[in-house]
Amino acid sequence: MVADRPPFEDLYRAYLGRIYAYVRAQVASSADAEDITAQVFMNAYQAYARFEARNTTPAAWLFRIARNATLDHFRAHGRRERLRRTIEHQPVAEEDPSGVAEERIQYRALLGQVAQLPERQRDAISLRHSGLSFEEVGTLLKCSEDAAKMLYHRAVKALKEAVEKETA
Amino acid sequence: MSEPEDLELEGLQRQLDDAFETTRPRAGFEDELWTRMQARRPAVTRLRDAWMGLLQGIREVPAVPLAAVAAVLVVVLGAGVLVYSGLGHGGAGSTAAGRESALQPAPLGAAGAYGRLPSPVLAPRTAGPNSVTAPTADYAGPVALTWTGKLGLNMSTAPVFRYQEPSSIDADQFATSLGAILVSRPAGFLGSYQTTDLSVRVRGTIQSPASEPTFILLPMASVGAIDAAGGPADLALVFLAEHSLAPSWQYTSAAVVSGDVSKVTLLRQFGVTGYGYANLVDGSGEPYGIEVDLKGGVPTAATGPLPLNLDSAPYPIISADEAVRSALASAPAGGAGIGVPTATLTTAELVYTLVVAGDHSFYEPSILFSGTFTVSGTKYVKRVLVPAVDPSQRSS
Repeated sequence: MVADRPPFEDLYRAYLGRIYAYVRAQVASSADAEDITAQVFMNAYQAYARFEARNTTPAAWLFRIARNATLDHFRAHGRRERLRRTIEHQPVAEEDPSGVAEERIQYRALLGQVAQLPERQRDAISLRHSGLSFEEVGTLLKCSEDAAKMLYHRAVKALKEAVEKETA
Repeated sequence: MSEPEDLELEGLQRQLDDAFETTRPRAGFEDELWTRMQARRPAVTRLRDAWMGLLQGIREVPAVPLAAVAAVLVVVLGAGVLVYSGLGHGGAGSTAAGRESALQPAPLGAAGAYGRLPSPVLAPRTAGPNSVTAPTADYAGPVALTWTGKLGLNMSTAPVFRYQEPSSIDADQFATSLGAILVSRPAGFLGSYQTTDLSVRVRGTIQSPASEPTFILLPMASVGAIDAAGGPADLALVFLAEHSLAPSWQYTSAAVVSGDVSKVTLLRQFGVTGYGYANLVDGSGEPYGIEVDLKGGVPTAATGPLPLNLDSAPYPIISADEAVRSALASAPAGGAGIGVPTATLTTAELVYTLVVAGDHSFYEPSILFSGTFTVSGTKYVKRVLVPAVDPSQRSS
């Protein structure tokens, strides 16, 4: 059984960046993204003994934990407050100075637009562009592979319209 | 859906790909979180991992006689428990290797975490004009050797540093941190990028001559003189700092100035407990690091090691006497003969050299001996590189 599983550190090193990017596309600040990412891997580490590679891929397993942790974060902090900050482009207090480098990333605005999409559209885009297959996206969002494709394409169109509206 | 709209959506999808691929946590977060996770592990889990690591290590060395295994079992087990309990250095689960800043001397702990290491070797020097430290020529012919210097190695282990070969995603992240966007992926490079004032190229490790992943900055014509006072080294540092490329590692600086053209090199060093800082040297024994070319105070090029996370693990090293014996034994058998010059090695220092080894490459400690001698009126330098890692821990 153990032979089915790579060492957890391998998983951690391979997926930390992708999980962080997924979370970062959902929340308003890099500090929140770090907190949630930390929680994801803490949870995953504790649960790794129960992970069955035959039933799911490590990616799908980790992203499921990440999705749940992000939803927990919204429940705890209030989605309304998050949306208000995002829409008003208010800086989140106490942003870590070391996050300044990230502020330079030119795609931050695009991820900000993703964060404003409805939850399922946001998830479809974030999961798909984090490297998951449509089948895995569908499993996580509890729909078929075809429905996941449809949801994703609608989400991209909605994002395009949002970007155009923003730049108009 | 119309064709232009399809193209627009495809373009947006590409931007999303880039956005997700280049959004990464701040430097250092990965190691901080891993350390926190290790610290929270229950003691039972740490002990179990220690056993697993030990058993795995024994399986990897099938040729070791069982009696020898039994003899070292007690010692290794004791060390293993310490390491995995978080009291010692590391505790990184299956690898036992901790991550270290090259700036910080590595604490002692379990040795040989990376298995047997390939040995570093010197390669004949091909260039001379750009050298910032050695104006003399190398002599490639047979030379008899003597030793009159003094070598002090007051430690029994030294850290070996390791990096994972970066991917194009890593290169993209680096470029993004400079504010550069991807232009293309030319052959031999992980990527070619551009900002408004810089052309940036990133390449991976080169096997021969060994060279680590490297960035190359070529400022565009619009770049003006650096607005700072000081000599070339100061200007180079200001230029690097302006682009967040000031080295995070220990260095000394050296400059070669010719008229209004200068080359500044920030020579990289590694910290070794009980020794101090050891220079990183290339295949010819020359220290190297980040190079910045200046002309009239205007940067014309900069190149240096791509910033990468380094793991480190302590390895047992040979004694000073063993190093000297190995250096002298490198001379051709028979010693000085007719027409064979004798070089007197007068200096020796601990250095680090890059050893390329596939997906992971190493910075390994070595002892670099050097001395000069004269043949037909020409002064030559003779260098001998002796791998410092104990032969039992080397694969070649």
